[in-house]
Amino acid sequence: MKQQARPAAYLTITAFTRLGSISILSILLLLVIIIATGTGAMHISPAQVVAILLERAGIRLPVAYPEHMVAVLWMIRLPRVILAVLIGAGLGISGAALQGLFRNPLADPALIGVSAGASLTAVVLIVLQPWLHFAGGNMWQSYLQNIITFAGAMITVWTVFRMSVYGNRAVISIMLLCGIAINALCGAFTGLMTFIADNEQLRNITFWTLGSLGGASWQTVLAVLPFVGLPVLLLPGMAPALNVFALGEQEAMHSGVKVNKLKTQLIIYATMAVAAGVAVAGIISFIGLVVPHITRQFTGPDHRVLIPCSALAGALLLTVADLICRTIIAPAELPVGIITAITGTPFFIWLILKDKRVIAV
Amino acid sequence: MLGIKELSLFFGAARILDRVQLQARPGELCVLMGPNGAGKSTLLRTIAGEYIHYRGSITLNGRELHQIPVAAQARQRAVLGQQLVLQMPFTVMEVAGMGRYAYYTRETSLDKAIVTYALQLLQVYDLKDRSYLTLSGGQQQRVQMARVLSQLLEAPDLDGVDYTGRKMLLLDEPVTGMDILHQQLSLQLATRLSQQGVLVLAVLHDFQLAAAYAQRIFLLKEGRLFTQGDVANVLTSAYIKSCFGVEVSVLHHPDCVYPLVATSPAGALFPSPADKAINVY
Repeated sequence: MKQQARPAAYLTITAFTRLGSISILSILLLLVIIIATGTGAMHISPAQVVAILLERAGIRLPVAYPEHMVAVLWMIRLPRVILAVLIGAGLGISGAALQGLFRNPLADPALIGVSAGASLTAVVLIVLQPWLHFAGGNMWQSYLQNIITFAGAMITVWTVFRMSVYGNRAVISIMLLCGIAINALCGAFTGLMTFIADNEQLRNITFWTLGSLGGASWQTVLAVLPFVGLPVLLLPGMAPALNVFALGEQEAMHSGVKVNKLKTQLIIYATMAVAAGVAVAGIISFIGLVVPHITRQFTGPDHRVLIPCSALAGALLLTVADLICRTIIAPAELPVGIITAITGTPFFIWLILKDKRVIAV
Repeated sequence: MLGIKELSLFFGAARILDRVQLQARPGELCVLMGPNGAGKSTLLRTIAGEYIHYRGSITLNGRELHQIPVAAQARQRAVLGQQLVLQMPFTVMEVAGMGRYAYYTRETSLDKAIVTYALQLLQVYDLKDRSYLTLSGGQQQRVQMARVLSQLLEAPDLDGVDYTGRKMLLLDEPVTGMDILHQQLSLQLATRLSQQGVLVLAVLHDFQLAAAYAQRIFLLKEGRLFTQGDVANVLTSAYIKSCFGVEVSVLHHPDCVYPLVATSPAGALFPSPADKAINVY
């Protein structure tokens, strides 16, 4: 009876064609980037932002701006906004890919241990810092720290993945259960590290756990770029296979999908995109869950549209969230993870309650 | 075309299939029957390539199954499984279109025409823009049948192409849950496909449907091939009694070209309450 009452909610919006929704989101993202770059302690008007950026490309616009504005924009604002775009895109796209892999719209990158593994590694690094002396000074050290954190996340995911292999294939439901177990174990060790840490380390750990883009620089942008860029380029190519995968693993195999290869690639790309972000900016929760969900409401479940759109929407959302974080209590800054969690959790609860009827059946 | 020799399959220590031997020719409509747990679905799934740890040999056109790449397998055989759980709100058109995955890198007009044709044939074309999740069980099954048909066909026409020796269709209880009209339509469709040279292998439970449509019946019991042959040879009261443990009469009626299998009164299967009471004490 209820189904008859509101059929429109179940219809996918066919009017949003693939190119249409991608270009709308791209234009929105560009606007948000310009606005976010201009907003802060020193106000830079959108025209000035565009003029400064185009000046680098050799195009002169008739807009006046003082010279120090260029430095602020180029050295402080732009890296931070770009970092938000990259990390947001990584979280969004890996969320969409993993929801496709788990064939469940409530799946999240945290489920398979990415965030837990990265957190544990980062916290261990913070606590062990006094005993570790990386050669080559500060910059090299922060690079190395990112790479180690990424490796930690990879190891956790690989462990979860290996544990779930039965008879030559990864069983998704076992993978979810192993993910829960590994998450708990990593959580316990993170707690242990927190317990050993001294006061200053504790502050570092807390700040890192809350997630922040405050450490943005061109170096961090460059460190994250390949890890997000590769999945963003390669995952859309796997979209048709992911669509068929929605029917079930066996059905996908019958239809000609190389299921094992698809699963392995998906997990590697999703981990890359998330872990690099976690290494640089800490834990930013709910973007990976919420973004593909909102996107799906507009595009329908077709991964050929959903995957690129989730990347764009993730970038959009994190850029806006970060903009709010650094302006709302200026000159102080709120960790961005707090904003995403405060807005994301009620949304998640609403999702569950909305689909309660479907889930409970 | 399909040759199975000494096929055994173990799950742990449990032997599910026990030295099964069978041959099926192109253009045959074969039906697998047997009691619950006899290994019908497992046999079908092994042929579908799901269990690569089988012993013995399964050959498709002379090639051993596990040596054929997944994509090539998908272009020569389509499978309709028993349980399908789809949680994402794909449209009917999108679901049926997934059957073309093995053929396209970009969706072509031929793909679209075939999917449209299959949906029309299964009488679900008017639902093409509906979300799959809002359909009834029987409608969902017809959409899945259309998807499988899309995977099989090479042209939007049942009669145009000769598929002899090139295509195989595996159906696991394809008509369970359908109304009588669509049961008949589905099996008539399978018959027409077999006339075009497609090898059809279907698990069925209904004796009447099997008698009406099968050209050859394979009877399985406890993982072994119990007997095989055409309808008249296999559907006898003796075979059915020893395979299923049920007393039946096989009737012939002048209005009906195939034999009718009628069960004896249900009460005879269980001991009467009085007998039970005696057994307990």
